[in-house]
Amino acid sequence: MSLFEKIFNYQILSRLEESGTFMITSQERDWLTLMLQHPAATMAFSAETLETLNMLFPKPSLAEALDENLLIEKARSREVQVFHPLLPSLRGHIMHQHGLQIAYEIRNGRMQSAQGFPYKLEYSMVKREWYLLWYHRSNRTLMNTRLSKIISFDLEPIVKDEADRMLAEISRLLESSQTEVTIEVVPRYNQELSRILYAFSCFEKEVSYEAEQDQYHIRIRLPMNEYEYLLSKIRFLGQRVRVIEGDYLQRRMREASRKALARYGED
Amino acid sequence: MAKESFDKEIQFLRMLVLTSGAYTRQQFAERLGISVHTYDKTVRKLKDIVTTTHHHMPQKQGQEFADTLRFNYYDSTGPMLLFLFRAKSMKESESYRLSLLLEALNESALTTKELLDLCCTKFPSDLPQPDEKTIRSDLKYLEEVGVIARTVGVRPYRYRIRNELVQELTSEELYDLYAFIDVMANTQVPSVQGFLLRDGLHKHLLHKHPAPGLDVLPFLYKYHYYSRILDEAHLYTLLGAIRTHHKIQFLYFSPKSDKSYASQNTNPNFERETTGTLQKILPLKIVYDHQYGRWYLLANAREGIRKFRVEGMTQIEEHVQVHADYFESKRKELEAKIQFSWLIDTGKPVEVVVRFFSPGKHEPNFVKQRVLLQGQWGQIVEEDEAGFLYKITVNGTTEIKPWLRSFGSSCEIIEPRHLRQEMIAEWKEIATYYESI
Repeated sequence: MSLFEKIFNYQILSRLEESGTFMITSQERDWLTLMLQHPAATMAFSAETLETLNMLFPKPSLAEALDENLLIEKARSREVQVFHPLLPSLRGHIMHQHGLQIAYEIRNGRMQSAQGFPYKLEYSMVKREWYLLWYHRSNRTLMNTRLSKIISFDLEPIVKDEADRMLAEISRLLESSQTEVTIEVVPRYNQELSRILYAFSCFEKEVSYEAEQDQYHIRIRLPMNEYEYLLSKIRFLGQRVRVIEGDYLQRRMREASRKALARYGED
Repeated sequence: MAKESFDKEIQFLRMLVLTSGAYTRQQFAERLGISVHTYDKTVRKLKDIVTTTHHHMPQKQGQEFADTLRFNYYDSTGPMLLFLFRAKSMKESESYRLSLLLEALNESALTTKELLDLCCTKFPSDLPQPDEKTIRSDLKYLEEVGVIARTVGVRPYRYRIRNELVQELTSEELYDLYAFIDVMANTQVPSVQGFLLRDGLHKHLLHKHPAPGLDVLPFLYKYHYYSRILDEAHLYTLLGAIRTHHKIQFLYFSPKSDKSYASQNTNPNFERETTGTLQKILPLKIVYDHQYGRWYLLANAREGIRKFRVEGMTQIEEHVQVHADYFESKRKELEAKIQFSWLIDTGKPVEVVVRFFSPGKHEPNFVKQRVLLQGQWGQIVEEDEAGFLYKITVNGTTEIKPWLRSFGSSCEIIEPRHLRQEMIAEWKEIATYYESI
């Protein structure tokens, strides 16, 4: 079996698209069969749909199932949740640009309710949980709420013009929350460049290289609320990288090193 | 003709994504061990595929290829690099024929004869007309890859397209399935087939069951290792060899070497020096590392257990088969050795003891939450208001160290002594980076 099959060729694909022909290969069927074994499947479909799917994609034999042990995953976060029961309905509301009255739990366990306009559902690969990203209509701010903290939501129809206005406002807010920081690869660790670039490959970034000094700089674009995650990556890489632009990150790194040394009685 | 391996394209795209435009053409080609001419040719080929598969994408004159592939979180609708798996080259007449056959079978089940007649009337005059033998071999291929099936019954056999999936499910169910595939392809490995299926289903929905807002699913996944799907290209070759207990041979470029690819010359007289080393090993297991989004192959060789980064493997070829008992004994040996590997280290097991400090009373305990999520088989053994003690037995301390360091001052290493000393030295060094700010 190869992923480079003729059948996946781009010219075939674009011709089939024109004529509206749907095809599925054994490889894709096998993949889907495997995924339907995951507990998430029972949450993603109604019992009836799942029955149809299981009929179309019968469970693999035991021998094949044992094979999976050939591929293992390491340093993975415990899988708390892959699918959430609220996903289908919230997805529908976002696609139809509906407004919602959202009741949700806040930090101290109290409940809050607000008029909101949901725009994305985001899965955190780190926390392994789903979040609703929404616009708070009276505060005019962007919110993100864990689906597990959402108590209820009710439909509040809004006119198309209002939805368009809010979407424009959301992209303006997202754009204005973006910041840029620059990280230098300490040249003595250039040998480990591949590892370092892999670690930052999950961010929106640009790398520059100065041949004369054999010096790499990584410019990362991200919103302020994602600094904590970036900081954990920078600490993860340790002495291999140094923040050279971004006051806040620099201060936090200085503070982290001082406090860490104090823990060891080395301050 | 040599088998198309895509090694060059894979290395090319990986470097492009990781370094996103840092190098000039010359520097880029040098690092890949190819000529600037080959570099240009590869860019042209890849660009052609990208524009065909993503025809909605703006293609400004002279736009840099790296820009085309630039990762933009809020706009990304699927992994751009997926187009690599669409790159298998084909003759125009063949791709035309296969799509024509599928289109016809999508309407109704047909015999070989009927399909041949249809091809003869519909085939453009500038392409060579197919004969019966060609059509038969096309049908055999399509049957092999599972796209069509022969109907049971009397001869002559009829062929039908195997699209029960879109026949049996209602439009609403298909939307649910589309969302499920998107979620699973994005959160599980392997994922390439999932992304391919998602693509096909998306097009089907747009065509047959259009709905508002379908163009972009409102799902985002944070954070993804963008280039992880490139290495899935080798996954099935390797899994196949492991399943059938075959040794493999390949040219290995250690990630620390300067070059990551070397052109495969067919004329030995012009063979240039390569920095890669020829490896002949028995593959045993594949490991996906979530910390960096990388793939490893664990294998057995004369020296014992060997580990390879899948990204460094090129020109993989299957070799001799070993006895099942031999394979089994090597596999068991490996499994015993990696039982305590944080990632893949097979060094001596050592007990690591760490004190974690909880944030203030009024804050959620994100330190503990993270340790519970990511701390693998480690245990929290003592806990009080200030924090907790975490114990884990791991092979060597190299692989767990970055994770511990990522907690900053929220953790203190108690045991082993040498790890504690190393951590102190590292924090001292990091402190010097920020002294002057």
